Amino acid sequence: MIANPVLAISLLTLLCLRIDGRRWNELRRFHAQLSTQPAAADGSSMVEHGNTKVVCTVVGPAEVSQRSKMLHDRASVTVEVTFAAFSGTDRKRRLKSDKRVQEMRTMLQRTFSQAIMTHLHPRSEITISLHVLSQDGGVLAACINATTLGLIDAGIPMSDYVVGMSAGSSSATTSAAVSFEEAADPLLDVNHIEEGELPHLTVATLGATDNITLLTMESKVHLAMMEGMLAAAVDGCRKLREMLDEVVRAHGTEVARNGAL
Amino acid sequence: MSISITRPSTPPSLAPLLRTSINNQQNQQQQEEDADGDIPMVSSAGDVSIVTPGEVVTSNPQWMRGHGTYLVEDREAGGMNIVATVAGTVQKVNKLLSVRPLKARYQPEIGDLVVGRIVEVQSKRWKVDINSAQNSALLLSSINLPGGILRKRTSTDELQIRTFFSEGDLLVAEVQSLFQDGSASLHTRSLKYGKLRNGYLIRVSSRGIQRARSQVVSLATANGGGEVEVVLGVNGYVWIAKKANTAPTEGVSITRLEEEASEAIYSSKNDFILPATRREIARIGNCIRAMVRCNLRVDEDMLNAVYEVAVEAADQGEENVDASLEGEEGRRVVEIALARKMGL
Repeated sequence: MIANPVLAISLLTLLCLRIDGRRWNELRRFHAQLSTQPAAADGSSMVEHGNTKVVCTVVGPAEVSQRSKMLHDRASVTVEVTFAAFSGTDRKRRLKSDKRVQEMRTMLQRTFSQAIMTHLHPRSEITISLHVLSQDGGVLAACINATTLGLIDAGIPMSDYVVGMSAGSSSATTSAAVSFEEAADPLLDVNHIEEGELPHLTVATLGATDNITLLTMESKVHLAMMEGMLAAAVDGCRKLREMLDEVVRAHGTEVARNGAL
Repeated sequence: MSISITRPSTPPSLAPLLRTSINNQQNQQQQEEDADGDIPMVSSAGDVSIVTPGEVVTSNPQWMRGHGTYLVEDREAGGMNIVATVAGTVQKVNKLLSVRPLKARYQPEIGDLVVGRIVEVQSKRWKVDINSAQNSALLLSSINLPGGILRKRTSTDELQIRTFFSEGDLLVAEVQSLFQDGSASLHTRSLKYGKLRNGYLIRVSSRGIQRARSQVVSLATANGGGEVEVVLGVNGYVWIAKKANTAPTEGVSITRLEEEASEAIYSSKNDFILPATRREIARIGNCIRAMVRCNLRVDEDMLNAVYEVAVEAADQGEENVDASLEGEEGRRVVEIALARKMGL
């Protein structure tokens, strides 16, 4: 172990490693679980991307909670996102009326209204509740993945997995580089520190294809860096879809073993 | 630009577990490559093959798509692929191919016995929560009137609709018909159906209840609990109550409806129930929950077997036994019962 933190950081840069010791194309430790709260909801899941941890519960398709939500040809999708006060580095309560939380809710709601076959359950409502227990970057991506697993656990028909992934681009090396194209250096699955320093985006794709269903970026970035980030994120999504699929299959085999099917 | 994504290295303790899961997958893939190019329902090894959303079930045009699938155009080969929309098992009926989800909400079918709760009272009908996508309707004309009188429902009946069922009341009913949008209409026009009292409701996944010849199970309980009646609603709502001691009726009336459908059928007052009976009712509830938690389907035989083991377990270890049957203890009890049943 290296005792001196300054030395450790410089060693990481020398080896082209990131602050947490990953290479540019490495995912963080990914862990997912289905049916975490079988009594509380129709479907539930828990997803961890490194230190980011999100719990999802899905109720529905059920009777609408408000008359105004009833759609006569399809099911309505309601999303609720809650950040635990202890989830960030400093203890802070985020209200539901927070603009950021509301935006996230809308993004998730639109993404999943497309992926879910809502026309099969007219006049009903699908409620997705997300609880962010710990944030370390890539919260939106983790929410997307948790929701996908929750919906699968609830047996709600979807056209394919919706998989989310974040990517950043390190621009620190621009001083020596000739052009932005050469300097562009995508980083997959950014953590909290990288999110604070670098431009980053979140992508969600539908299944193993390159069909992007959600793309969001809040930082200014040179156009040349965009392509690399996007390519890294989309490829990350493809890899993560395989990992999610493994989780679902393992769970399904476990359920099927006792002849419950 | 070409990108290769590497997955994080797994901690050493998990490595053996992962290896088995990868082996399983390889086996599955080999089994899936059938002569017809489609997926077998049950593989030779006895375990069930699972399909997941987005997975191509078959591209063979001889199959029709059923529930849990959709059609996608295959750009490369031409033709259409049948793709799964839920995670579950493939089911084939003649040429219809459907995917049955591992877990889903209850979907009503005509003739199902369901346990429900009144959530809304309207002028000529009640809205009943039966754990499905929409609340079902119970019409004023599809219940028995007290005293068993058979007549047209008048405005007087409409005015006193809350004397039959009011909000929060539990009832057992049968699905009479289905509407276009999949919601159900119920009826209670039989002495078997009607308002529930003297017991308690537990809610499990509808997949946990086995459809059987009779959904009503009578258990002779241990420890002086007396007879307990269990109504296994196929919607996943289970009612466990003390069995009403009906006096032996002599065949005087033709229908017996008049005698038995007395004023008492819409009573909301519970009888006094002995602590011993209450304890056994709770034990049966815990047994059902434990069975569902172990992915077992509840039916009369299995419930009897598990209850028997649970009583024995409670008799033997006096202090250490977790009577709630949560966690390990529940699994142990269910496994013993299962082993015993297999042995017979």
